[in-house]
Amino acid sequence: MMHKFYNYHWLIVLLFCVNVTQTYAQNVQITGTVLDETDLPLPGVTILLKGTTTGTTTDLDGKFSLSASREGVLIFSFIGYDPVEMEIGNQAIIDIQMNPNTSNLEEVVVIGYGYAKKRDITGAVSSVNPGKLENENPNSVQDILRGNAAGLNVGLGVTAKGGGNLQVRGRTSLTADSSPLLVLDGAIYYGELADINPNDIENLEVLKDASASAVFGAKAANGVILITTKKGKVGKPVIKFNANTGLATMAKFPEVYGPDGFISWREDVFKSINAGGYEPYQFSDPRALPSDISLEEWLAYDGSSGDPETVWLQRLNLQPVEIENYKAGKSVDWYDKIFQTGFRQDYTVSLSGRTDNINYYWSLGYLNNEGIRIGDKYETIRSRFNLEGTINKWLSVGLNTQFSASDDSGVPIKDDPAPLYTNWNLLRGLSPWGSEFNEDGTYKWRPNDETSGGNHPLYNLSHTNRYEKTISLNSTIYANIKLPFGFNFRTNFSPRFVFSDRFYHKSSDHAEWGTQGGIANRRNQKEYYWQIDNILTWQKTFVEKHDFNATFLINAEKFQNWEDNMNNNGFEPHDKLGYHGLGAGINPVISSNDEYSTGDALMGRLIYSYDGKYSTTLSVRRDGYSAFGQSNPRALFYSAAAGWVFSDENFINIDWLDFGKMRLSWGSNGNRDIGRYVALSKLKPEKYFYQRPSGDLYLVNQLYVENMQNSNLRWERTESLNLGIDFSILKTKLTGTLEMYMMSTTDLLVKRSLPPFLGFEYVYDNLGQVDNKGFELTLNSTNFERNNFIWRTTANFQMNRNEIVSLYGDLGENGREVDDLTNKWFIGHPIDQIWNYKTQGIWQSNEADEAGVYGVKPGDFKIQDVDGDGKFTNADRQFQGYTEPRFRWSLRNEFTLFSNFDVSFMLYSYLGHSDKFNQMKNRDGFLDRSSSYVTPYWTEENPNNEWARLNSSEGGAGGFDVYRKKSFVRLENISVGYNFPKQLTEKAKITNLRIYGNIRNVGYFAPKWEFWDPEIDFTDPANSGPVPRYFTIGIDVTL
Amino acid sequence: MELMSHCKSKTIIMKIRTILNPIQILLAGVIFAITTGCNEDWLEPKPLSFYTPSNTYNEAAGLWASLVACERNMRHEYTGDGSPILTEHIFSEVAVEGTTDKSGPAQDMNLLITPDADLNSTNTNRIGWYWEEGYNGIKYANTVVSRIDEPQDYESEEEKNHLLATAYFHRSLRYYRLTQQFGDIPLILEEIIEPKLDFYSTERTVILKKMKADLEWGEEWIPEVLDRGRVPKGALQHLLIKINLALGEFQDALDVANRLIDGGPYALMTERFGVDANDPTKNVVWDMHRPDNKATFTNTEAILLVLDRIDTEGNSSGIISMRNAVPFWGSNINTPIGNKGTSDQPNIAIDQVTAFGRGIGRLRATWYHQSMIWDDENDLRHAPGNWMDMTDLVYNNPDLLKDDIQDPYYGKNLEFRNDEGAILVVDTIRSWFSWPHYKLYIPDPQRNQPRGGHTDWYIFRLAESYLLRAEAKFWLGDLAGAAADVNAVRTRAGAAPYSPADMNIGTILDERARELYYEEPRKTELTRIARIFAMTGKTAYNGKSYNEMDFSKENFYYDRIMEVTDYYNKGVFTRHGDTYTLSPYHVLWPIPQSSINANTQGHLNQNEGYSGFENNVPPLTSIPEYE
Repeated sequence: MMHKFYNYHWLIVLLFCVNVTQTYAQNVQITGTVLDETDLPLPGVTILLKGTTTGTTTDLDGKFSLSASREGVLIFSFIGYDPVEMEIGNQAIIDIQMNPNTSNLEEVVVIGYGYAKKRDITGAVSSVNPGKLENENPNSVQDILRGNAAGLNVGLGVTAKGGGNLQVRGRTSLTADSSPLLVLDGAIYYGELADINPNDIENLEVLKDASASAVFGAKAANGVILITTKKGKVGKPVIKFNANTGLATMAKFPEVYGPDGFISWREDVFKSINAGGYEPYQFSDPRALPSDISLEEWLAYDGSSGDPETVWLQRLNLQPVEIENYKAGKSVDWYDKIFQTGFRQDYTVSLSGRTDNINYYWSLGYLNNEGIRIGDKYETIRSRFNLEGTINKWLSVGLNTQFSASDDSGVPIKDDPAPLYTNWNLLRGLSPWGSEFNEDGTYKWRPNDETSGGNHPLYNLSHTNRYEKTISLNSTIYANIKLPFGFNFRTNFSPRFVFSDRFYHKSSDHAEWGTQGGIANRRNQKEYYWQIDNILTWQKTFVEKHDFNATFLINAEKFQNWEDNMNNNGFEPHDKLGYHGLGAGINPVISSNDEYSTGDALMGRLIYSYDGKYSTTLSVRRDGYSAFGQSNPRALFYSAAAGWVFSDENFINIDWLDFGKMRLSWGSNGNRDIGRYVALSKLKPEKYFYQRPSGDLYLVNQLYVENMQNSNLRWERTESLNLGIDFSILKTKLTGTLEMYMMSTTDLLVKRSLPPFLGFEYVYDNLGQVDNKGFELTLNSTNFERNNFIWRTTANFQMNRNEIVSLYGDLGENGREVDDLTNKWFIGHPIDQIWNYKTQGIWQSNEADEAGVYGVKPGDFKIQDVDGDGKFTNADRQFQGYTEPRFRWSLRNEFTLFSNFDVSFMLYSYLGHSDKFNQMKNRDGFLDRSSSYVTPYWTEENPNNEWARLNSSEGGAGGFDVYRKKSFVRLENISVGYNFPKQLTEKAKITNLRIYGNIRNVGYFAPKWEFWDPEIDFTDPANSGPVPRYFTIGIDVTL
Repeated sequence: MELMSHCKSKTIIMKIRTILNPIQILLAGVIFAITTGCNEDWLEPKPLSFYTPSNTYNEAAGLWASLVACERNMRHEYTGDGSPILTEHIFSEVAVEGTTDKSGPAQDMNLLITPDADLNSTNTNRIGWYWEEGYNGIKYANTVVSRIDEPQDYESEEEKNHLLATAYFHRSLRYYRLTQQFGDIPLILEEIIEPKLDFYSTERTVILKKMKADLEWGEEWIPEVLDRGRVPKGALQHLLIKINLALGEFQDALDVANRLIDGGPYALMTERFGVDANDPTKNVVWDMHRPDNKATFTNTEAILLVLDRIDTEGNSSGIISMRNAVPFWGSNINTPIGNKGTSDQPNIAIDQVTAFGRGIGRLRATWYHQSMIWDDENDLRHAPGNWMDMTDLVYNNPDLLKDDIQDPYYGKNLEFRNDEGAILVVDTIRSWFSWPHYKLYIPDPQRNQPRGGHTDWYIFRLAESYLLRAEAKFWLGDLAGAAADVNAVRTRAGAAPYSPADMNIGTILDERARELYYEEPRKTELTRIARIFAMTGKTAYNGKSYNEMDFSKENFYYDRIMEVTDYYNKGVFTRHGDTYTLSPYHVLWPIPQSSINANTQGHLNQNEGYSGFENNVPPLTSIPEYE
């Protein structure tokens, strides 16, 4: 039998050989080119003859050639692209175009400390691809993210530097910083976002739940943003050049009184200031007195004589210079002395490429932006160099380096000691009848000679000299070693250096600084931070179904900062040396501040997936940080998650469902952003002096305990549960993600309020619990797709609710935990709920007596006296609305016309929140000495129920607040781009040429929020005041 | 880099493990991560640029530095815009709040002085400042009291006792003020190093008795003469007089006053001295209050001073006395023929702003202080040159000289009414009153429109010691002795002496007002005296007697203010329409609600008359024990 078999065997082999020979005889030679979606050649594409192992790959120019039979079918495949099958038939040349896969489930995405298949991801992640936003020429990382990632809220940036605060999901912390952790090319990044050129970014991922971010443990409670920068692509070296210029214009600034409106408004001011009583028509234009009041009587009110017009203007407290200008008809529009149309320019050139062994990307960018305030300016040079060399089969090394040199001299900051930009606040106060110049043509310091009347907006600037530059160098240097059995070891060393100098000189030619003999200051700061990550990964697939992906990390970090500061004034014999000659002053004051902190971490993570359908992630991380170094330096965080691709199950057979995945995760994260030394008592040093009998003065130091120490301070911990569903339906026409989460933060790092008589206002402590829960929905749809017209829509919706569950654990008499009235934190209420007196409109003329009970007059605010005792106490405070938006949504629409013309616009909206609107009290500043914004106000003749009389009284509710709804919808941008047809550009050897233009902050609609943009935050100078609108045009060239 | 080496061994271990069974590695790795870690020293916090208690308060110099904070912060009461001392004056008979163009300043006390109100702002009042800063001072002093045994580097036992006695002085000073301002308050005698929220109010006499005992111990240990800026023995004695008076222990008050006045190195200044000594137009009262003269050792009247100098690190923003307490004369004053009469610009032909400052009339002296108390025309404290009336100013607006105006009143003295009887001042409260130029005038070369620059300031001065001793003698019934002490102060100023028959609390208060305006904590002292009347039941000169039960309903404090001033009892209102009101319960200020709110595990009493009083519990009557 055996023999027979062997015989047959040989026969079979023989037959097979014949067959092969026969087939071979019918083969034809096929050549062709594979292009990607942008018509660029796609190298490395695998081409297989279906059902065989015969195949080839495309070369650097995307070209291939192989021989195959005419009956055969070629399969083109490439990671990240939809595979294409093509029957050979009669073709000899097969040119095809491949498209990126829309579900891109097999795509490998960046996760913390490694990569994973998108299919296996179990956490909540939002991705943003800046490539899609090219027409909007984002100026900063914040611009890329704003409105484009569900669950990530980006604040407004109104200065030339731009920017804005970031917050992932709800507010979990009461006091610790709540901005997310940034991870740049795999290494935690503590540098400035402004130092990253948005043109260098390949991709951004926002990790929102604990499962996704748990690998970053203690730093991740506020979410994580992973930033991946560009690498070279296979092919010849590519040069990209991007240039854009634009204008920053005023989008919203409240109107102030012009020359005429000013006088009649001032008349009403005086009537209201003199609510105690005044003579009839005492403050009115004497040329329009009623017949029963003679000019003589009118003048005699205060013993006046002479020119009635002058008397009138004097009664309105116009200063002599104002009266003179009024009579001469010489008014000033201060707007032009404060605001400008800013010019903006941004250029980036990059060179990139990839060969078998070397992958490189180098960019150089220059940005120079002016803001809408005169002098508001930001200039930076940014360069990035990413290099990776593959040395042999098992070793590759590389570095990602980022350099930036910025000029921050004109960047508005909080408590700026020497601003070089105008103070927009001045516009409100400056009298239109003041004088701009002195007789000698110099700026007049006080345009109406009145202390409270404001200074000339350009006066301080013209007497200030300032130099402020920052150089930062941020690198990651790494080596990657491939080990047997699927192991891989990687070491990252990430050092960061920052050098910053700020020098300023306030000249003695200044009217005020001159009395101090000029003022000069130098501050030098140096920062050195490094961290090391040792990462061991193991990836292995068993029996084609069991996928293991394990990661272990050992990390350490160290931060060091050195700062010295010197100040002097009273320069002798003169201050012309400015900040170069600091020693020449008579009152030197020096100080220094050095800081130091360390941290370490150990982390392990396992991703296991079965058959591409079921996946789980387990992780554990232990963090250590020196700010908690006394009793609880370390803490442990962990997470577990599972994902299920239910659309792959046989029992689910739904036509319209392409893909469906459910994710469930649970995990814990920490927050350590509390400052390096808050756990320690700090002694506050200040100088004082004694005098000896000889008359000599000598300095002594005072030292008192500034803050209470807490050696038991420990990590804030957020545990969160996240349920997510990813889906794709109707042949990927509609894809989306739904996330629901619950987060519970315990051991909150809070400034616990202490009774002021302890001599401490607060102590940092771990207390209580805050819960957040929320819902996020992201939808992407292709609404219309024809050759000449494509319309896509992306919509995000999110809501978050939070609640204080517990604070300090102190029980009140009723057995219920007591609230923190000082911080206005209440058990069972959201952190952001308003608790205050409630206004109920304005007291009207017929209610004078009732108003009098509260010590106020008609025209003043009526405040609800809840307990009716005639006084305003805690018992009269009520809950009324929230300061954080209740709902947020964004909507982006993109249109492609004739395949090379793109149009898009984006809207976003915050709804349901309220804020203080105290402008309605009409009692800002010195109304009798300055001008004002044009607001409605109550008068007896012209009453209303919303706006108080000018200079209104607060009565017994001193400092009460008026609240208003702040909901708004903003048309954030409209962009248009045009790609020049290849046929045209190729003649000039240009691979790609595109021009574009956009308008950002086109406008908004806020029905209840007049006056200011609803997004500004007056506590943050980079985010308050007037809001600009930007117009930009640009060009992209790829060679 | 240090870490690379000490973590390297683990890296190697992990590499070795790569050849082991993957599952084992996984488990081992997780356990490894949980149980071991890098070196513990690695996470040791390192404070580099600041001192901490553990490395500083274990040396004598560190504890002395804690008391420098007490000394320096005494200055805050007098410096800056809207300084706290104004509130002490406004809550008395010498002055009212004169900011008349808005609501908020302490005018309508019944409406505005509540526990929930903003009690610490230049635009309202500074009651809350006294509460917080008082307890800050107690905190600094308690640091020394609690840690007095920690340093091992005292030069001698004397130094240690001197340090402790100085801490006692500062703590007693704060408790003296707080008990007079707020009544029963929490008593803290130790350094607080962890959150503590279970305080109760302690009966004020318990506090004062403890302070008295501490000072009596400390009197022995503080040297008589120390560098200016520090606390000499005389300061402790001066405070002890006040505490004894507040306790009604008049003989003890007299004894310590005798030790200070008769036994100490001090004497009233009766002769010309200092920078202007050779200027014949000036006098000794002027010399007493020159910034350059206060801290000199020639000045034997100064007991305790705070120091403040121009262009010196650690100085203040200036005394701002001219802005606070000079009338708002720069505008709203017309010449008799109706032109704008005054100008507060510097560098004009008649530069009055540099000479007198740009006042805004925040502290508006009452008629009592401007006129009623001045009973002797030879009194240097009210003499031309030292004292300013509005009519001493002149019409200085340069525009008056313009061709189209040519006002003949240019350069002439201000007038209140014109010939027709029309008042020429828009706001008589804020813009028309007299002031003690010799005291408020502090040159301010670093401001174009001077507000009151840097100057040393008297905290305790022997003149007040005399008036306190006069008080002690008065309460003991020694009217002749009382008159002698009052006269010592009067005659130095050139005024005629009083007879013993003239002596009563009213005349002593009048003398204090003449001598100590802008220096003394007037409300504190007035409440102290009101409390003595209530404690002793002694009939006051107004014929009334008082008791402690009804202290917040009927007291000498309120009756005195109503007796000699015309604001609170006549329905006077500002041009903004706010009425001046005051009630007997204002004898004690409200305990700020924020302190009551934050003290969640105990209970602070509120003073009668303010909301929250109804929740009071009996105050502690002994010194509370703390763990």
